[in-house]
Amino acid sequence: MKRNLLIGGSFVALLVTLAVAQSAVQRVAAAQAQNGVMAPRFEVDPTFPKPLPNGWYQGQTIGLWVDAQDHVWIVHRPDVLDAAEGASSQTPPTGECCSVAPPILEFDQTGNLLRHWGGSDGPGYQWPDSNHGLNIDSRGNIWIGGNGAMDGHVLKFTLDGKFVMQVGKKGVTRDSLAQDHFFQVAKTFFHGPSNEVFVADGYGNRRVAVIDAESGQMKRFWGAYGKPPDDKAALAQGPYDPTVTYQQFRGPVHCADVSNDGLVYVCDRTSNRLQIFKTDGTFVKEVYIARDSRADGAVWDTAFSRDPQQKYLYVADGRNQKVRIFDRQSMEELTNFGKGGHYPGEWYSLHNIATDSKGNLYTVETYQGRRLQRFLYKGIAPVRAKQQGVPWPSGK
Amino acid sequence: MPVPRRVVYCWVLVLSGVIAVQYDAATQGPKGGPRYQVDPWWPRPFTNQSWVLGSVTGVTVDAQNHIWVVHRGGDSLEANEKGMMLTPPSATLCCQAAPSVLEFDQKGVLVSNWGGPGQGYAWPQSPGSLAVDAKGNVWITAAGLETPPATPARGRGDAVVGEAPAATGRGRGGPPPGPGDAHVLKFSRDGKFLLQIGTPGKIDGPDSQTTLNRPSAVAFDTAANEVFIADTGNRRIVVVDADKGMYKRHWFAYGEKAAGAAPPAYAPNDPPAKSFRDVTCIDIARDGQVYVCDRSSNRIQVFRKDGTFVKETVVSKNTLGATVTGQFGVVSSHGSAWDLAFSNDAEQRYVFVANGHDKKVHILQRDTLAPVATFGSGGRYPGQFLAVGSIAVDGQGNVYAGEHHHGKRVQKFVSK
Repeated sequence: MKRNLLIGGSFVALLVTLAVAQSAVQRVAAAQAQNGVMAPRFEVDPTFPKPLPNGWYQGQTIGLWVDAQDHVWIVHRPDVLDAAEGASSQTPPTGECCSVAPPILEFDQTGNLLRHWGGSDGPGYQWPDSNHGLNIDSRGNIWIGGNGAMDGHVLKFTLDGKFVMQVGKKGVTRDSLAQDHFFQVAKTFFHGPSNEVFVADGYGNRRVAVIDAESGQMKRFWGAYGKPPDDKAALAQGPYDPTVTYQQFRGPVHCADVSNDGLVYVCDRTSNRLQIFKTDGTFVKEVYIARDSRADGAVWDTAFSRDPQQKYLYVADGRNQKVRIFDRQSMEELTNFGKGGHYPGEWYSLHNIATDSKGNLYTVETYQGRRLQRFLYKGIAPVRAKQQGVPWPSGK
Repeated sequence: MPVPRRVVYCWVLVLSGVIAVQYDAATQGPKGGPRYQVDPWWPRPFTNQSWVLGSVTGVTVDAQNHIWVVHRGGDSLEANEKGMMLTPPSATLCCQAAPSVLEFDQKGVLVSNWGGPGQGYAWPQSPGSLAVDAKGNVWITAAGLETPPATPARGRGDAVVGEAPAATGRGRGGPPPGPGDAHVLKFSRDGKFLLQIGTPGKIDGPDSQTTLNRPSAVAFDTAANEVFIADTGNRRIVVVDADKGMYKRHWFAYGEKAAGAAPPAYAPNDPPAKSFRDVTCIDIARDGQVYVCDRSSNRIQVFRKDGTFVKETVVSKNTLGATVTGQFGVVSSHGSAWDLAFSNDAEQRYVFVANGHDKKVHILQRDTLAPVATFGSGGRYPGQFLAVGSIAVDGQGNVYAGEHHHGKRVQKFVSK
C-alpha cells in the first residue's frame, strides 16, 4: 500500500513536472512569437508544377496570374536559352535537350500543363520583343506587355490565344506623356469596377497609365506623387542614393495593382518603394522597403491576400529574395519568408507573385531562376520570426 | 565518386538483401532498370539565410554516410546572387557564397563547412571534384577555369533590356588572380591542410613525374595506399603514393605509355580518338577495375590498376557541346560523360553516369556497360538538371547529383 502510494505520488510529481515543462514550452513559444503578431503562414510545395512535356525548357519567367478556375498562367522568355541549355534547338543540335516552350503556359491545380501558345506576330498584332507581365480580366481575356527595346504596346487575347486587341505599337521611344502608346510595359492590372486596365509603364516610361479595357483608349496617367511624369527630370536623377527622395519614378514602374477598396499599389522598383494612390491618381502615401538596396531594387511586385478586406499585402523583393508580408492598413511589415538559391522555397530572382482563391501563393523567377513555385496557405498564425527563411513544412 | 570501400562493406552486410529486392522489383519498370525519384526535401535549407551555393564541381559520400560537396563559391555567382559581397552591397539579406566545402548528414543538415585560401597551399581557381579517403581525409583537385573558345556562342540571358544585372565591384566575373590550377590538395576532415601534390602555375607536360595540369578527380586504392589522379590537362592517369604524393606510374588513353597528340574536337562519325580529350572522372570498383570518364569524347574507358586497358563504351554518341560566356566567365558544356559512380550493392551491378550536356543521368550495367535506364531531364525544377557534372552513391543506395554552371544544386534521388 505504502509502495503504491509512493508510486502514485511519483506519478503525480511526474505529471506536475510535465505540466510545468509544457507550460514553460508554451511561454517560450509565446515569447518567440513577435508580441502576438499574426500573419498568413505558408509552406513550400515542391510537387508543383510537374516538369514540362516535350523536352521543353522554361526561360526567364516574368509574368504570372491565377484565373477564376484557379489555373495558374505564366509568361516566360523562351528565347533566352543559351547554347548549353537549348542544345537540341541548335543548328545542328549539339545534344538531346532542351527545346523552347511556347511563352504562355497554363497549369491546373495539380501542376499539369494545359494550354500553351504565343510567341509570334499575327494579323493585327505584333508579339513583343521581350515578354513581360501577364494579367487575366474578369471576362476571361489575357493581357500581356513587353519590355523589348522597341516594345510600346500591350496585347489582349482570349485564353485560347485568339487575338482581341493591341493598344500602342512597336517601334516607339520614351514618352511618358504619350496618349497612344507605352514604352516597355512591365505589368497590367484589370480593375473590374471601372472596367479599366492599369498599366505599369514601365521600363522606358515613368508613369502609371489607365486605359479603357474595351476600347483601349487612354483615360489618364500620372507619375510619382501623382504629378505629371517628366522624362527629362527622371533621367537626370542619377545613380541611386538611399538618402534622396526622388520626385520622379526611378523605375522600372514594375506593378500597378488595385485593391478592392480602390487603392493603387505601384512598384517603383529601383527606388525601393511602393507608392499608393487612389484610382484617379491622387497620391496617398509611400512606403520604402529595404531602402539600402541597389542594383535592380527591392520592390518588384505585389499581391493581395484573398480575404474580402485584403488584410495583407504581399510584396516580392527580388533583390533580397523575400516575400514580405505587410498589414495593408498600417503598411507595417509583419514577417518575410524565403531565401536565395535554387532549391524549393528559394529564389534566384523573385519577379512576380500571385494568389489563388484558397490563398495559396505562387511565385515566378527571372534571370537564372526560371521557375514557377507554389506556397500552400496554412491560415493565420503567430509570427515566430521576422525572417522565416524557407517555409519548410513541419515534419520535413 | 565511389563510397569508400570500408563503408560499402559495412552497408552491404546489412543491406544487400534489401537492395537486391529493390533492384529486382525496379527492373520490372517500363525502362527495365533501376528507377529513381528525387527527394525534394534534401538538403535542408542553410540555417544562414544569406548563404547560396555556387557552381557545384564535386560531391562524394564518406564512411559515415555524410555527403560532401565542393563548389566554386563567389567567383561563380552573378552580381545578382551575391548582393552582399558587392562594394557597395546591393542587398542586405541576400546573398553571399556559402563556404567552399560543405558536409551534410543523411537528413541534409549541414554539419561542417570550411575551405578557401590558407597557409601552405593555393586554393583552386576552380575546384574539380572531391573525395574522402578511408582515413577520412578530404582530397580536392584544382581543375582550373574553362578557357574561352575562339567563337563563343551566346544566349540572350545576359542582355535583356532594363534587366541587365548590375556589374559593380567584384560582381563582374573573370578569373581570380594567381597561377593556374595544377595541383591536388589533401585536408583532414575538419579542413586542416595536409598535402599538396603538384604546383600551381607549374606545368611540365604529360610525362612529368612532379607536376600536374588541371587535375579533375582522384580515386583511392586503400590497400596499396595509392591515389589515382585524372590529370585532365595532361590527358593521362597518374598514380601517386597517398602519404607523400610521390609519383608511381602513369598511362594515357587505351593504356598507352607514350603521350599522343591532342585530338581534334569530337565528331560522332570519326574513329575513336587515340588520346583523352578531357579526363574528368576516375573511380575504382570493388573488383579493382578503374573507370575513367573522357567527357567530351562521350566515353568511359576501363583499366586494371596497373594501367592495362580493358574496354570502353560510348555513352551518347551524338552529344556535342556548347561554350557560352556568361557573367562569371566561360561555361563549357561538352559531352555526355562528366562523372560516374557505382551502385552500392555487393557486385556494384550498375554505373551511374552524369551527362551534363544532355541534362540526365544514365544507368549502365557495369559488367556489359550496356545502358539500362536514365533519370532526370533539363530544367530547374526538383529532379531536373542543368549541368549535372558530379555524382555519388551513399551506403543506402541513394544517388546524389551536383550541378555545375548555373545549376548550383546537389539533389538526392532515392530508389523507387
